[in-house]
Amino acid sequence: MTGEAITTTGLGRVFGDRHAVRDLDLRVPTGQVMGLLGPNGAGKTTTIRMLTTLLAPTSGSARVAGLDVRRYPARARRHIGYVPQEKGVRHLLTGRESAEIEADLHHIPRRERDRRVTEVLDLLGLLPDADRLVSEYSGGLQRRLDLACGLLHRPDVLILDEPTLGLDVPSRRQVWDHVRQLRDGGGTVLLATNYLDEADALCDRVTILDRGREVVTGTPAELKRKVGADVVVVRTRQPDRLGRALAGLPWVRQVKVVDADVSVFVADAPSALPAVMAEARRHDVAVLRATYERPTLDDVFVHFTGHVAAGAQ
Amino acid sequence: MTVASGARPARATRLGQWAQELRALLRRWYLQLVRERAHLVLTLCQPAFWLVFFGLGVGGLVDHATVGTDDYTGFILPGVIGSTVIGSAISGAVPLLWDKETGYLHKLLSMPINRGSVLLSRLLFQVVVTGVQVAFILLVAVVLGVRVATGFPGLLLVSLVAALLTVALTAVFLALAYHGPGHNTFFTVSGFAALPLLLASNAFVPLAAMPGWMAAVARLNPLTYANEASRQLVLGGWHPRLVGYLVGLSLFAAVCVTAASLAFRKQAGGAP
Repeated sequence: MTGEAITTTGLGRVFGDRHAVRDLDLRVPTGQVMGLLGPNGAGKTTTIRMLTTLLAPTSGSARVAGLDVRRYPARARRHIGYVPQEKGVRHLLTGRESAEIEADLHHIPRRERDRRVTEVLDLLGLLPDADRLVSEYSGGLQRRLDLACGLLHRPDVLILDEPTLGLDVPSRRQVWDHVRQLRDGGGTVLLATNYLDEADALCDRVTILDRGREVVTGTPAELKRKVGADVVVVRTRQPDRLGRALAGLPWVRQVKVVDADVSVFVADAPSALPAVMAEARRHDVAVLRATYERPTLDDVFVHFTGHVAAGAQ
Repeated sequence: MTVASGARPARATRLGQWAQELRALLRRWYLQLVRERAHLVLTLCQPAFWLVFFGLGVGGLVDHATVGTDDYTGFILPGVIGSTVIGSAISGAVPLLWDKETGYLHKLLSMPINRGSVLLSRLLFQVVVTGVQVAFILLVAVVLGVRVATGFPGLLLVSLVAALLTVALTAVFLALAYHGPGHNTFFTVSGFAALPLLLASNAFVPLAAMPGWMAAVARLNPLTYANEASRQLVLGGWHPRLVGYLVGLSLFAAVCVTAASLAFRKQAGGAP
């Protein structure tokens, strides 16, 4: 399948008089990891419930794998792997049993089932723990099992709702690695998160939602560029000499000198840093320290919504 | 790259898939029940304690003329079965309640299964659980000396009556679990409903021995008719009105299941 894995047009959902989601135009191209970013209550989960056919939209339409979710909910569900936000379920089933049951619920033919279950458990590194009860799993193991189950039927789109909520740092990194693996394997992922660093680490494109509306969409790099330039900061004993040398160079946007610090505004700080150092050497400027700063998605979020993300760390 | 194409599968395939999903759901309910050993053992034994201690203890106080038989244990046998069915119907909805509260139900409903399968699998499973409980109660009753007027075929019909009542009440509590706002409401409502349902019936006291208004209330209670049917089979004997009871209970079960399946078509209650 090529083109768009998810397309929504003017999608909206009202609860009573509260607009949980309004007028959302979402496009997730096949093979990309798309992030839905926003604080709690921004409308991420409501959007996901509509895409997974759990909730009927009150306005607009949504297509998953080319199927209108309102007209063909049952068929659309076959193309979706959904990993919901689970609140600490402690199933008295082993990991393998859970996966087998979910494989059956996805109607994977019995002769393929066991092979497929072993395949996804292996992919997520769960084989050593496959025959332990899920109730004994750590949070990280549990999330990896959820991910494994989401992949059983080789869905066209994997929808992850807060996949690392409440995990410790190593487990989080592990989940990230697995999502990256999926992306590298050509999978399409829609990922809802309120962690900005997670969106930055995983997503090809990000849509920021706030109070049910799309605020801005773009690649993390684009969004950060919109917010502000990268800055290389050099501390030296000859700040004015370095400032004069850099001002007017084609790749330098602006130079500011404050005390011993020279701030050089550039398009891309990591690649500009060596050039700044070379200029310093050419003009015989002794550099004491050189650092750079780039806007983070936190800055993007604050810039576009005017408030701080609830999940920002 | 998908296993299933977008096209609608053939009828035979759909039936096979339906059987596969029901089997998987039943397996999940079964494994979760048997892995809670203490819960399982107590669930099975508790009704028999009722029969022994209530039947033999309270039985000594009871005026045999009032209950119309000198076999009080035989008299309350339908009542004990009825109270077991009520308990079973409530606890039968609890796994669904937890699935809803943990978010697993959302996952289930996002899968390509028939929405009715969750309801149907839970009903089937609970009928089997109640069946085992009832068999155990009947065994204890026979050991205690209860002689069943209609013999073994009568026992099978007593089990059928219990099964119909289980289907009806479980459907109601499943709908409450699915649609209600959460476990507090569920346990409050089910706890509130259980005792009146049991006591405002002829489970332990015959209608004739009740004050008039109470007998009137009891006549509105479906449990009364299940008790009448079982009591007729245990103490009375074969009688044409048994047909009426069975037809009435079947209709009641059909209405409850229809109402519950309509409830399951809608969005689950509770947090959005």
